[in-house]
Amino acid sequence: MVLENEIFKDFEDIVGKNNINDGKVITTAYAYNWCMEFFNYMEDKEPSPFSSIPKAVILPASTEEVAEIIKLCNKYGIKFKAQSTGLGPWNQPSTDNCIIVDLRRMNKLVKIDEKNLYAVIEPYVSGAQLQVEAMKYGLNCHMPGAGPHVSPLASATSMAGPGFTSPSTGHSARNVLGVEWVLPTGDIMRLGAIGLKKKPDWYNGDGPGPSLRGIMRGWVGAKSGIGVFTKVAVKLFPYPCSTDFTITGKSPNYGFKIPKYLRLYVMDCKTYEFLEEVMLKVDEEEISFMCSHLSGSGLAAIFSNSLQGLIGKAKLAQLKVPIVILITARTDREFDYKQKVMDNLIQELNIKDIIGKSYSPEPVFYAEALRSNLGLHGFITTGSFQSSKGGSDTAAVCLLSTKMNIPLKMEYIKSGAIGNDSGKGVWMTSYESGHYYHMESPTMFDQTDDHSVKGMAEYMEASNQLDLLKHLGAPFFVEGTQMHELFGPHMSNYHIWLRKIKQAFDPNNIADSGFYISPHSKE
Amino acid sequence: MMDDEEYKHLIRRCIRCSICKWIPQLQIKSKKYATICPAIDMYNFHPYSGGGKIILALALEMEKIKPSEELRDIVYKCTECGGCDVSCKFLNNLEPLEIIIKLREKLVDLGYGPMPKQQQYIDSVKKNNNPYNEPHENRLNWLPEDINIDPNAQVLYFVGCTSSYRRKEMAIAACRVLNAAGVPFNILDNEEYCCGSPVFRTGDINTFKDFMNKNVDAIEAKNIKKVVFSCAGCYDTFKVHYPLYRNYNFEVKHSVEFFNELIENGKLLLTKKVPLTVTYHDPCHLGRNAEPYKEWKGKVVNLMPLISIHVPPKPKRCGTDGVYESPRELLKKIPELKFIEMERIKEYSYCCGAGAGVKSAFPEFALHTAKNRIQEAEDTGAQVITSSCPFCSTNLQDAIHESDSLLKYYDINELLMMAIGITDEKLKEFLGEVA
Ligand SMILES: Cc1cc2nc3c(=O)[nH]c(=O)nc-3n(C[C@H](O)[C@H](O)[C@H](O)COP(=O)(O)OP(=O)(O)OC[C@H]3O[C@@H](n4cnc5c(N)ncnc54)[C@H](O)[C@@H]3O)c2cc1C
Ligand code: SF4
Ligand code: SF4
Repeated sequence: MVLENEIFKDFEDIVGKNNINDGKVITTAYAYNWCMEFFNYMEDKEPSPFSSIPKAVILPASTEEVAEIIKLCNKYGIKFKAQSTGLGPWNQPSTDNCIIVDLRRMNKLVKIDEKNLYAVIEPYVSGAQLQVEAMKYGLNCHMPGAGPHVSPLASATSMAGPGFTSPSTGHSARNVLGVEWVLPTGDIMRLGAIGLKKKPDWYNGDGPGPSLRGIMRGWVGAKSGIGVFTKVAVKLFPYPCSTDFTITGKSPNYGFKIPKYLRLYVMDCKTYEFLEEVMLKVDEEEISFMCSHLSGSGLAAIFSNSLQGLIGKAKLAQLKVPIVILITARTDREFDYKQKVMDNLIQELNIKDIIGKSYSPEPVFYAEALRSNLGLHGFITTGSFQSSKGGSDTAAVCLLSTKMNIPLKMEYIKSGAIGNDSGKGVWMTSYESGHYYHMESPTMFDQTDDHSVKGMAEYMEASNQLDLLKHLGAPFFVEGTQMHELFGPHMSNYHIWLRKIKQAFDPNNIADSGFYISPHSKE
Repeated sequence: MMDDEEYKHLIRRCIRCSICKWIPQLQIKSKKYATICPAIDMYNFHPYSGGGKIILALALEMEKIKPSEELRDIVYKCTECGGCDVSCKFLNNLEPLEIIIKLREKLVDLGYGPMPKQQQYIDSVKKNNNPYNEPHENRLNWLPEDINIDPNAQVLYFVGCTSSYRRKEMAIAACRVLNAAGVPFNILDNEEYCCGSPVFRTGDINTFKDFMNKNVDAIEAKNIKKVVFSCAGCYDTFKVHYPLYRNYNFEVKHSVEFFNELIENGKLLLTKKVPLTVTYHDPCHLGRNAEPYKEWKGKVVNLMPLISIHVPPKPKRCGTDGVYESPRELLKKIPELKFIEMERIKEYSYCCGAGAGVKSAFPEFALHTAKNRIQEAEDTGAQVITSSCPFCSTNLQDAIHESDSLLKYYDINELLMMAIGITDEKLKEFLGEVA
């Protein structure tokens, strides 16, 4: 559905003629996304990888342009969907009365405040871009497990947020400081110290007045359902080791000069009960850069960059309940200390580390760990995956959820719909050295196989039901009116509050709420 | 290359991760030079990227969109540089570049490709054996009288259309170096035809095959053992694409490989100092795209539901085996030349912007890309940017000119000439200018 000429012209006046397109080719291409096929199927539609086709795609270059675009959307009653790097079905319009605001041209790294440990970025600065610039100051940033190619701003403001380095770099929601936010009305709001009249700056995310950070993104983000975030300050952390990052060889056979002061441990805890004990003890010591549990097959995947390579790592896949720990340091003393702590724990827990004994990873693994590139290995087996679950809770609840999911997953594995990970395919990490934990269950499927797509959709639904029935908490991807209404009544009726926020911030219901919540329950 | 069945399968596998917009994630060294795809860098809408073009291929196949000029323009706004391909394949198993090439072929079949400007080039190739609308009989006009050609030599220098008609200095430099090394060599005279690259890259495979046959027949008739190229485009076409349609019985080498070997064997002596700070631009057709296809004969074995493997493992063409070391080794052997790298190099080098008919059909796009590359070269502190491809040469020089850059461009063989001491006029002139 194209825009009427006059409306198109109004939008074009804001961004210039090269930065808006309502042609069939471009708009159709924007209707495609990863996992769309089974999301469509879950909504009783054809399992096509295309969503509703947007009316137009527009590429603003500044906050002011975004604000003007949104005002026009209000004027003409057209919804908008913002996207940063645009990976995943959450970027898709839920109606054909919607334009996509692609923030690709807003790609400035506004500043790095070395002393106060934060950076101010626009939406299209990728994690890798931010990281390499931060590294020049000996600093590092948090990146979601999706990888270094996605937008830290999108993750911080609008979208979930765990990552492989969460023990040391936390969760995206916890790393947001000042925020510049174009509300669904087109007004510009500045949260935190950047909203101060005198000496505005980005160092603090709360106030002026009551903190709105929770309202802005809640747990998993509003996914463009509550406006557009145009700048954000995110916390930076000291880079975990030497910033010398030397890649050798040629893609895909990269080697890496492993910097000083990195040590990896992989241990098989054999039971979930013991894993809980090990994880809690390691986290209590606050020494790990990464501390994750993956299933044996998941573990083999993060160490492989092809299916063939993965098959060669059958030994790893056989580990029952592995834990992966990466410790890092900046000085001899710090490194000695951390290794001693690990040695003591290994002794005390009577557990074996296999690294350097029965297994040594390729050096490139360390580069990928430092650059948060490990999540992408989820695609190497069947071509696609998506996660069910996604609890954010105690280690015990996360592991209960893991265990309870196994029989359910096995049913779908037996039917040939999803990849065989013995039902145990999970990724669990602590946040902030064990403050709380994240667990999700990555599930492999083949997007080109209808049986697999449909089976995947059915499995996701069954998994959500299991969460509800067994009180395992809402899944990571609790999104959209239907899901919120399903889980809300079991979780302090949060959906009622979420809806009130939507109504208050978006009186004309202009921000596409397909992956957030509709202002009215019948919509 | 992929067949139709594989094409239809792979176009459903893009995960829209956008990794193909960036150099490989592990190689990113700065915010400024993190991107790989000239098309998305210029036009910004997702379908311009490698992954975006895969979506277009799928949308066309699913009849979500119809062939149209709008579609054609997006598909042809692509230099086929293959940068997307390298980045995607670090972990994925897609074939973005082959999909783009096949999508172009489909548009040609449907009557929508190539671009009208490119069609003029193809028409000229068919009519004049070169894309520049130049008379075939003028093909050797570049050849100075004092260059020794040996009609009985077993080494052949394949000049290429661009060096014959537009970048004559490259042809002259290559021949002078060959003479200086005492290597007897021949050329094809008026039996040399366009290698077919411009028609191949715009999707006209039948015309391409005609030109391939004319060239291979002419070379084989002369009992040639080795063909040397100074044009990356011709080299890539002979090395990578001819064998897909026809085997031939001679060896192919780019001059950077051949001359580097000659220096190593002591046949080419570099005696003169060339005190310049030089950076090297990897042409896509000598770098990542010069990796030949490796034949694979095997079967797909289903290991378990949804998981199949190729037995034996199917080689993945990732740009790993391009010609990267020879030009660098060669430059490092030049006395007092200081070699300095840009950020994006080798298999993740940024394209110069001229390839696949872009320079003719979308000159502003070609220039935009080359300016980006020139900026990157300037940021190294180099005085000279060098390369080994006439298309890169033209486009990078246009960008130097348009951006008022102080950088100088020399073909790598011109630098060799200076080091051999054949003529240092240019060098003197340049050193005078920068002093
Ligand atoms: C291999 C893999 C692993 C993953 N692992 C994780 C993980 O560990 N942790 C995690 O959190 N996620 C994970 N994900 C999901 C991932 O978070 C998202 O896909 C990713 O963050 C998307 O980031 P993006 O920069 O592409 O943002 P986008 O996809 O552009 O945006 C994400 C959402 O935010 C909205 N949005 C984006 N920018 C703005 C803005 N400026 N203003 C308002 N709304 C906006 C979009 O509409 C969309 O709904 C994973 C995905 C993959 C493919
Ligand atoms: S082509 Fe490859 S890298 Fe690009 S979006 Fe698709 S899967 Fe990702
Ligand atoms: S081949 Fe080059 S220009 Fe074309 S889409 Fe890929 S990276 Fe972009």
